[in-house]
Amino acid sequence: MSDFFSKVVELFSTQEYIDALLHGFLLTIQISYFAILIGIFLGTIIALVDTAKPSKWLVVPKFICQIYTTIIRGTPMALQLFIMFFVIFAIKGFPSIITAIIAFGLNSAAYSAEVIRGGILSVDPGQTEAGLALGLSRRTIFFKIVAPQAIKNIIPAMGNEIITVIKETAIVSMVGMYDLNMAAKDIGSGQNMASYIVPMFVAALFYLVTIYLITFIVKRVEKSLRKSDLKAEE
Amino acid sequence: MENQDTELIIKNLRKSFGKNKVLNGINFKLTEGERVVILGPSGSGKSTFLRCINWMEEPTAGEMYFDGELVTEKNIRRIRRNIGMVFQHFNLIANMTVMENLLLAPLKLKLMKRNEAEKRAKDLLRHIGLLNKADAYPASLSGGQKQRVAIIRAMMLSPEVLLFDEPTSALDPESIGDVLSLIRELAERGMTIMIVTHEMSFAKEIATRIVFIDKGRIIEEGTPKEFFDHPKTERVKEFLEKVL
Repeated sequence: MSDFFSKVVELFSTQEYIDALLHGFLLTIQISYFAILIGIFLGTIIALVDTAKPSKWLVVPKFICQIYTTIIRGTPMALQLFIMFFVIFAIKGFPSIITAIIAFGLNSAAYSAEVIRGGILSVDPGQTEAGLALGLSRRTIFFKIVAPQAIKNIIPAMGNEIITVIKETAIVSMVGMYDLNMAAKDIGSGQNMASYIVPMFVAALFYLVTIYLITFIVKRVEKSLRKSDLKAEE
Repeated sequence: MENQDTELIIKNLRKSFGKNKVLNGINFKLTEGERVVILGPSGSGKSTFLRCINWMEEPTAGEMYFDGELVTEKNIRRIRRNIGMVFQHFNLIANMTVMENLLLAPLKLKLMKRNEAEKRAKDLLRHIGLLNKADAYPASLSGGQKQRVAIIRAMMLSPEVLLFDEPTSALDPESIGDVLSLIRELAERGMTIMIVTHEMSFAKEIATRIVFIDKGRIIEEGTPKEFFDHPKTERVKEFLEKVL
């Protein structure tokens, strides 16, 4: 046990180790951040196409969106990452961080689309009917009525998706990228600290704190969005 | 069209949901000032008929003329401004206050100036005794209050016709009276009204014409007196025996 604590002290007092951890952590955050942005952006488009009123213009886009989500959700993330690295972006000198961001972004898009779609569909159809009966356009109905109500249902599940992406990026170590997960392993063996448990324990703490922080923010946002409901219960 | 007081003409209206044929050729004419109550057993298509009039359900076949104009996908949005609708489940916009609900259509469609719309909204709210709820969200209102707000929301645009789709079916017995008396008042002011309802005594009292629908067809229509006292068809006799 005293060995454990002396190793913790060693890890935090050795500049190399700290640099390695921070470097890894930064990569993890960079990949997650941009992947989540892409995921939300593409996911929103997919969800909108999917929930739009059927028309002849949308037959092909709706079909494409379905195929897309089916393939992404039906295959392992690690395999998608490999395909991106060793097939699609197997270009010499192509920055691996971009490849990773695209891989995770495209993956997250499929899941985000489901979350957003579910949120939109959870809004009572009577709300849309009320808008239609008043002569409002579908656009106005979406932005003024459906979207504000859908967001309340989307935020909690979206928080979950963000957390999943952050943790899942750990598999980039499988294609040799130096993320937080890889840093832990590297400090333990490559840099000869002669302990796996301590760096891995610390890396775990980094993930945990990050995710706790995100959970906290999501809860806050959720609460402020529910204000109109709370006011109603006065 | 045929005469200038005719608001609505419906010719051979059909509606199917997939293979399920709900309306099988309805012919109907509505004249200004009429109050038509639509009756029929459940599943007869009476609500679908009402919902086809403002294209909440797009008709599968048939023609509709509103104020002499053929209703199409292109002009339906404009026509809907002249056809108010009140729903069974109120459908007040949940993320908007009562006042915002009332102002939504007049302002978004640029049909009124803000101060003008606010004044009208306040007058109507005062009239139904809910002015103090102007800034409340729908979730804090009782069913009867919600439905009365829904009715004045439909009135904000001064429609030519008001459609009521089972307006009291989701209400507790105490609220029903409030809602019915508001509808009665609109009727007395000469509003053209179509109602789907199960309130037989109200139907008898308010209707200028009863339309009975069964299996997607109008099988009998007439004044309340003719309909309730001297039904012509066996089907209506059978129906009245059960409900009265």
